[in-house]
Amino acid sequence: MSDWEPKIVSFLCNWCSYGAADLAGVSRMEYPPSIRVVRIPCTGRMSPKFALAALREGADAVWVSG
Amino acid sequence: MKNLLEHMGIEPDRLHFSWISSAESTKFVSVVREITAKVKALGPNERFVKKEAKVA
Amino acid sequence: MVTFKINGQTVQGEEGQFILQVAEKYGIEIPTMCHHKALDPAGMCRVCTVALFDGRRTRFVTACNYPIWEGMAVTTDSEEVIKGRKLIIELLLARCPEVPALQQLAKAYGIDEPRFKTENDTCILCGLCTRMCEKMGNNAITLTGRGLSLEVDTPFHLQTDACIACGACASVCPTGHISLEKIKTHVTAKAKVETIRSEYDMGLKGRKPVYVPYAQAVPNTPAIDRDVCVHFKTGGCQVCTEFCGVNAIDHKMEDEIVELDVGAIILAPGFEPFDPTKFDSYAYANHPNVITSMEMERLLSASGPTSGHLVRLSDHKAPKKIAWFQCVGSRDQNRCDNSYCSSVCCMYAIKEAVIAKEHAGDDLECAIFYMDMRTHGKEFERFYNNAQDKGVRFVRSRVHTIDPVRGSDELSVRYVNDDGSLAEEQFDMIVLSIGLETPPETVELANKLGIALTEGNFCKTSSFEPVATSKPGIYVCGAFQGPKDIPQSVVDASAAAAAAGEILAAGRNTATKQAEVVPETNVIGERPRIGVFVCRCGINIAGVVDVPSVAQYAATLPYVEYATDSLYSCAQDTQDQMAQIIQQKKLNRVVVAACTPKTHEPLFQETLTAAGLNKYLFEMANIRNHDSWVHKNNPDLATRKAKDLVRMAVNKVRLMQPLQEAELDINPTALVIGGGIAGMTAARTLARQGYETHIVERSDRLGGQAHNIYKTVSGDLVADKLAELIDDVDHNEQIHIHLNTQLSAVDGFVGNFTSTLSTDGDTQAVAHGIAVLATGGTPLQPEEYNYGQDPRIMTSLEMDQRLKAANDPALSEAQAAVFIQCVGSREPQRPYCSRVCCTHSIDNALELKKRNPDMNIFILYRDIRTYGEREYLYKEAREKGVIFVRYDLEHKPQVALADGKIQVTVTDHVLGMPMTIEADLLSLATAVLPNKDETLAQFFKVPLNEDGFFVEKHAKLGPSEFATDGVFLCGLAHYPKPIDEAIVQGRAAASRAVTLLARGKIHTSGNVAQVDPMMCASCGVCVSVCPYSAPSFIEADARMHAGKAQINAVLCKGCGLCVASCRSGAIHLKGFDNDQIFAQISAANWE
Repeated sequence: MSDWEPKIVSFLCNWCSYGAADLAGVSRMEYPPSIRVVRIPCTGRMSPKFALAALREGADAVWVSG
Repeated sequence: MKNLLEHMGIEPDRLHFSWISSAESTKFVSVVREITAKVKALGPNERFVKKEAKVA
Repeated sequence: MVTFKINGQTVQGEEGQFILQVAEKYGIEIPTMCHHKALDPAGMCRVCTVALFDGRRTRFVTACNYPIWEGMAVTTDSEEVIKGRKLIIELLLARCPEVPALQQLAKAYGIDEPRFKTENDTCILCGLCTRMCEKMGNNAITLTGRGLSLEVDTPFHLQTDACIACGACASVCPTGHISLEKIKTHVTAKAKVETIRSEYDMGLKGRKPVYVPYAQAVPNTPAIDRDVCVHFKTGGCQVCTEFCGVNAIDHKMEDEIVELDVGAIILAPGFEPFDPTKFDSYAYANHPNVITSMEMERLLSASGPTSGHLVRLSDHKAPKKIAWFQCVGSRDQNRCDNSYCSSVCCMYAIKEAVIAKEHAGDDLECAIFYMDMRTHGKEFERFYNNAQDKGVRFVRSRVHTIDPVRGSDELSVRYVNDDGSLAEEQFDMIVLSIGLETPPETVELANKLGIALTEGNFCKTSSFEPVATSKPGIYVCGAFQGPKDIPQSVVDASAAAAAAGEILAAGRNTATKQAEVVPETNVIGERPRIGVFVCRCGINIAGVVDVPSVAQYAATLPYVEYATDSLYSCAQDTQDQMAQIIQQKKLNRVVVAACTPKTHEPLFQETLTAAGLNKYLFEMANIRNHDSWVHKNNPDLATRKAKDLVRMAVNKVRLMQPLQEAELDINPTALVIGGGIAGMTAARTLARQGYETHIVERSDRLGGQAHNIYKTVSGDLVADKLAELIDDVDHNEQIHIHLNTQLSAVDGFVGNFTSTLSTDGDTQAVAHGIAVLATGGTPLQPEEYNYGQDPRIMTSLEMDQRLKAANDPALSEAQAAVFIQCVGSREPQRPYCSRVCCTHSIDNALELKKRNPDMNIFILYRDIRTYGEREYLYKEAREKGVIFVRYDLEHKPQVALADGKIQVTVTDHVLGMPMTIEADLLSLATAVLPNKDETLAQFFKVPLNEDGFFVEKHAKLGPSEFATDGVFLCGLAHYPKPIDEAIVQGRAAASRAVTLLARGKIHTSGNVAQVDPMMCASCGVCVSVCPYSAPSFIEADARMHAGKAQINAVLCKGCGLCVASCRSGAIHLKGFDNDQIFAQISAANWE
């Protein structure tokens, strides 16, 4: 295992996954510090351009979650 | 979308989609773990990153 | 302030503090074994030894209890100190070589093996437990003996009553010498010690005396359980106060009696799940694998005690076979007194079985043992059919006994098959589908209030006033009104609010206060001046993330003029300070790095507004829920992540623009479409609350289907009550009735609709703010069972007509009557249950029995669905000799007309033989069909389901309104329902409408989409994708931008669907625009 921590730009729906992420915090669950959350109002707002931009700017991966 | 990435030479595992309701914190955590593990296996993203030198 | 040095660094502490406290504040680590923040230090373990230079000489002192003084110099990490500390640890380890905490400490100090002779103790005699016990106010243990025989013990080695088994000693013991298990074995001999059971997790998990009931609790603040808190038993403890950073805990708080002057009371005390402990034959009390459905809910929940992993409780292994037993504590007068049906259990059992299979995979076998499957709610029958397709097994049998299988954890069940044969089967787990009950406290409350109850202890109400109790001014909603599910409770709740609103309408807005408005500073064109406020959230963030370094880092980011950190950003004083700083430093953008915007964004936005800034010039970085709380073992990366998140927020806020929230007047007029019972009730409620209302009815009279119904289950004659209601509506000056009228056009949107009414060729435009769709339903005219060929074969409603005409001899002189159920319902072409027909037929059968007790009456049914207290009618009918014969869809009854006789042939489910009944009357319980109106659906842009009923906003939480703002629904147009439920929903729809009308104005959000008409290609994608019908085309003859798309800010919810789907990039989502999201993305990756 390397110590390298990937950077995953994550587009989370304000009403669904963003809430789940908040609740994970409230429940003090632990997960790798790899994700960088961009809050979007709804996955409908997601555009392929965002994913490509993230990868081009150096993100190691993109995650879209509704 | 995944096809497009593959076409451009980006591993499909660098793009993930999921659906998680706001009450499913456990699922959220397991998805983060899974994705992180997959991306770790791929290593850093170097192919598509905009390189200043190239742009110039 | 006392200034001195630790390891050469100048530090400051308060007079009276000890070295350890100050070191802690500066993040200087000193190991301890016996220190506890809430206790007076004792210096017992000596591990915290440090060197002190007093100006002349150096000596060793214990940091925990050595008070600080001006000019002292402390060293915590010199070679000498380490050497001395190592010796102390070595001695402790020699005494207790097996204690993990000491082993770890020894490892850190490079000790492999102590040089001294080892003993086999586990107590280091630090006295932390005895000091804690004293703090608890107990003094049950102390250090006894002297020298070598010193030990922690109780007086005279005896267990005394002084010990209340609070477990505080065990919770602080650093070595594990005292454990909860040991306390239990010592103490349980005398008193029973139980862990505190979490109410939320149905006792499947423990909780602390200081607790948040559940993660989503509102308010989300911890409470102290007085019944178990040690302080309230002994007067001691109060340890929690030492840990609370904001002094929020006050143990002296008393219960208060608050007197309120109110004009109406709404009772919503709910129900209690039935306790099956008393059913010995189900072994619930003594077998871990027999659980209740409520416990099953927790086991299936991702936030439950097993994180959603389905296990049986005896061995925590995944079960392979699960059985559900229906009607536990319902429809049962032998083993309990609840002869009513609890209404909800069939559906929740199916749901649990389906979810269990989803969690555990298709190999899991699920069987539901039931008497009648009651899936009478909207979309429930489909769910039932799907469950069967997914392999959930339904067994029509009531199981009497559960036998534990000896030598295993399995449970054996014997039951009777459909064909009468006996079967025996084993299950890993059995779920008891427990019913709903009114708890004794609620009965007591009802007695105190003097309101009448039913025989099932539910609140007594009437069909035409279903939310009014027997006492004027007191209303009821939810499961206390009768056992019911969530959607029905929500409908009830709205209706009860409306009923109270009707009598209190005069008092509306008489006690409101107006907020002061601060003028907004114009920041357009200014260079961004960003302020960053990083919150410590006590230790919630600062305990993991290096907050000062995040704030320092933020200050270096472009456009950041000011960055600071604070203990609690959300505290009132910090908020005031923030507002001051914004004004002093002339900040025009603000980032708060703290908790989640979902809870705190509105609060900080208010602060911006108070400082004269537009509230959209704001962004939050979630460094608590998404960072410190979830990465507590990785502070370095958590700090890095916090910096990333702050950078992303700063880069986004830079591009934020002030947004305006439009304000629109709401036309205080209502339009109700449909003049049936539901529509009239809605109109009357709206009018009674002061709103002018139009009723549009396509026929020539008000009343709808109610004209065809004889009486309600509670025995009210519908004709009388209907006449009263029509009279009420007719004489209300606020209500305008338009008969023989239909809608020919609808324009506008919430608050400002204009509908065109067509009456016999004349048209009239009516402006209204909201609309209620109450278009009703019709009975199916059957094409089977020889309907229409003989006057003695009739539909249920036709029988009602004949019952209405007093003493029809054909009815009273008939020798035999047959009722056929599910005519056109629950069939492939109409896969829904019509909900009302079982009760209706049974009620009519009873009426016939009343007129002619000797009549032979047969009811041919598939499942009897007399939900709630309607079950009493079913019971009464059986007692009075009505014969119930079950048939299934594959073997429907045959009706033949021969020699002037009606012959009904049905295969009896008990005998398995066809039997023929010669009937003088045949009543067909035909399906309820919606008056499907696609034009109306298009007018108001609301959806219809496959069956032609309108689709509400949310099946559970929004049953009486549409997703389209300002449009509401009620009655049969929503789903088949009896009169009482139609009345409740009529009121509920009006109630939801009043929440809008009463505001007078609509405020739109600033985060809405906007079209740049120059870029728009008029392709119409946005118009077709929007779920809220916000985009539309500008009219072709408009002066500007004809044919281009425009978005109505009032209807837009800011989801961004149109923005992403716009091919020309013409739509912008304010607050989440492309450049703003790109800014966040690119900032995510800078280092």
